[in-house]
Amino acid sequence: MSTAEIKPPPILPEAVPVPEKVLRRLFLTLFLRGRGARGLNRSGAPKSVIEKLALTLAIYALFGCMALFFWHQPVFALATYLHAMTFVFLGMFVASSAGEILFNKEEADILMHRPVTPKAMLWAKIRVLVEVSLWLAGAFNLVGLVVGFSSNNNWRFPLVHAASTTLEALFCTGCVVLVYQLCLRWFGRERLDGLMTMAQVVISVAAVLAGQILPRLVMRLDHSLTVSETAWWINLLPPAWFAGLDDALAGSGMLGAWLLAALAVGVTTLVLWIAFRKLAGDYETGLQALGETISPKVKKQGNVRWLDRMVHLPPLSWWLRDSMTRASFLLTAAYLFRDRDVKLRVYPGLAPVLVLPFIFIVQGHSSHHASGLDNFSFGITLSGVYIGLVPLMGLQMLQYSQQWQAADIFRTAPMAGPAPICHGARRAVLCLLGFPAVLLVGSIIWLMNRNLNQLFMLVPGIIALPVFALVPMINGRSIPLSMPSDAAKAAGRGLNMMLVMFIAFALAGVAALAQSQGWFWWFVLVEAVAAVVIYVILRATINRASWPSME
Amino acid sequence: MIVVNRLTKCFGAQTAVDALSFEIAAGQIVGFLGPNGAGKSTTLKMLTGMIEPTSGSATICGHDLKNEPIEVKRNVGFVPESGAVFESLTGLEYLEMVAALYGIPSNAARARIKQFIAFFDLSFATLTDKLLGAYSKGMRRKVVITSALLHNPPVVFFDEPLDGLDANAAVGFKTLIQTLAREGKTIVYSSHILDVVERVCHRVIIIDKGKLLLDGKPDELVAAHQSGTLEKLFTQLTGGAELERRAEDFAKTFRP
Repeated sequence: MSTAEIKPPPILPEAVPVPEKVLRRLFLTLFLRGRGARGLNRSGAPKSVIEKLALTLAIYALFGCMALFFWHQPVFALATYLHAMTFVFLGMFVASSAGEILFNKEEADILMHRPVTPKAMLWAKIRVLVEVSLWLAGAFNLVGLVVGFSSNNNWRFPLVHAASTTLEALFCTGCVVLVYQLCLRWFGRERLDGLMTMAQVVISVAAVLAGQILPRLVMRLDHSLTVSETAWWINLLPPAWFAGLDDALAGSGMLGAWLLAALAVGVTTLVLWIAFRKLAGDYETGLQALGETISPKVKKQGNVRWLDRMVHLPPLSWWLRDSMTRASFLLTAAYLFRDRDVKLRVYPGLAPVLVLPFIFIVQGHSSHHASGLDNFSFGITLSGVYIGLVPLMGLQMLQYSQQWQAADIFRTAPMAGPAPICHGARRAVLCLLGFPAVLLVGSIIWLMNRNLNQLFMLVPGIIALPVFALVPMINGRSIPLSMPSDAAKAAGRGLNMMLVMFIAFALAGVAALAQSQGWFWWFVLVEAVAAVVIYVILRATINRASWPSME
Repeated sequence: MIVVNRLTKCFGAQTAVDALSFEIAAGQIVGFLGPNGAGKSTTLKMLTGMIEPTSGSATICGHDLKNEPIEVKRNVGFVPESGAVFESLTGLEYLEMVAALYGIPSNAARARIKQFIAFFDLSFATLTDKLLGAYSKGMRRKVVITSALLHNPPVVFFDEPLDGLDANAAVGFKTLIQTLAREGKTIVYSSHILDVVERVCHRVIIIDKGKLLLDGKPDELVAAHQSGTLEKLFTQLTGGAELERRAEDFAKTFRP
């Protein structure tokens, strides 16, 4: 064979990469793996996240089985339920992810000097948000699609509902982006960081609250709900508009349904137009603001300055005599007030814990009037004990921070173990989250009934509060701000919470029983003694604890 | 190659860069110096299109910063002081992503990356298997420098490029930029390590409080101010007088 016969394969000109596609792939990878490094090797990192995502999708699909209650019900009823829940889930997801995806501080140093336009970056990010939203929505709506198709032999429902859910995902994403852009436009770039945090916390808390309230509201509606019979206020809610689209194209086809469908399409188009056309320039402004090195001045009269003075005055000065505990108290307070990452984890995380006591009280109050049973007292006791979970959850979430490596400074200080740091954080959480929550619940109960005896039903919860606050720190765990943020997504914490919630419910049940049997104060006395004993034991384990291994 | 005309940046009432003007020709290495908060990083961020100037203008390779920002970005490489990278990507994924943003096809990018890793003594296995979050500071800095030079830009801005590099890598890097300058690239080098600046740079620009204080060849400036070294000249100009006496006085406060 002569050399002339051996021809190298023709070299095809390689396609020039398109920046938009590169960015989309980049942001999707970053979303799936997280922004921080999760492991040393490539093989370990994405796998764990994909497994986690698969588990999340499975849980969403499981939640979707509630749609089976709507078997043989009108399309509008089923669609309203599906869209209401989808709206909540997507709202929670987009609100919690959008801030980090849209405005990432480090990203400015990596991408802003590359030849890509802010518009291309915005679109790539939106595509990723919508794409992941649709995965979540698809998992949740899976059973609903089958119910809609099978129960009425309606082949159009799955197609139409898939389209309306896509529209809903675009609407949710557009709304969140719009909120950020309006904040930028109205309040300016100087206050961007604070505003972003505020907007994100408010949206996340609202989504979590809606997640608690909306399902109860929808399940209480008559299942045979149709467009013509629906209460007027339901038409004001966005999920009803998208349900109208389903009903118009795959259900009754009534005029009301068409009007709601038109509203869904019209409002979504308007939101997308304003967010991605009209205000797209504000996104560039926001990105540039992140690249600026000037940091905003700390307000002289800010919360932490105020606290700085308070810790030197009684009663806090008595409680924080140890200088290390006092320093830890101030550090925790600063993070609770200032740090975006901590605020985004703590406040939305606490929202369901805070809303449930009110649901218990209101449900107890209404059934109390209806049945004459003392469900109200049980509701108060339950809410009191449940409020005790606020510091527990707060402390668990406070151990994670983006600046977790800075917590090494605790170890270099002359301390045998993390006890002073843990006590300072615990006291800050009790002062700034636990006690205000008790005061709030107490005030609401007092305003609802003005009955001192019922207010006393909070006492079992208040006694349990200091004990619950020690639980996360047993053996010197939950050192504040000492773990990477990504570790907060680990699933193990849920099991502890389930156990503590079970104890809380049991305690509330026994307290309510004691009250109905007339030996409530004896119960309080026994609980107080038990609480003191447990408190002393737990404190001793924390004080004896040495620093956990750094490996 | 770089023309800066009364470039100004204000953050509210604070003026970070105040009517800065200078020109840099092709093939020059220019040390861009100033104390902390002088406005160096802000100037570099404006010149790389990361933040918008409040007023003034600049052109890089004949492209106006305001009207042709994408063309400017195509012609510059930038090593930011933060050394930020996407930590959950591997080194190779990160560099291929950067190359793709400049329109460099995958095969061409990989060949170029291999040249860089050979120069920086990195192993290809590390680049493909380890996530950037697990890299040492020096390794990460090498990846950032590679990402700034991958597309062969005619103008390169370095903001504290030696931070984290070991002595061998630093020597190699200094030789690299001198060679690049000889081949016609314009290099702006911002650093606090003044003896390196004195040895490497053809010219220094010293700014303070956003204003230009001095611009010239290091040896000529040192001679004109009779300061002996660039470090002494810098402290003279930027309010560092009596630093040594103040340090001694402060050290005395540590006596038991």
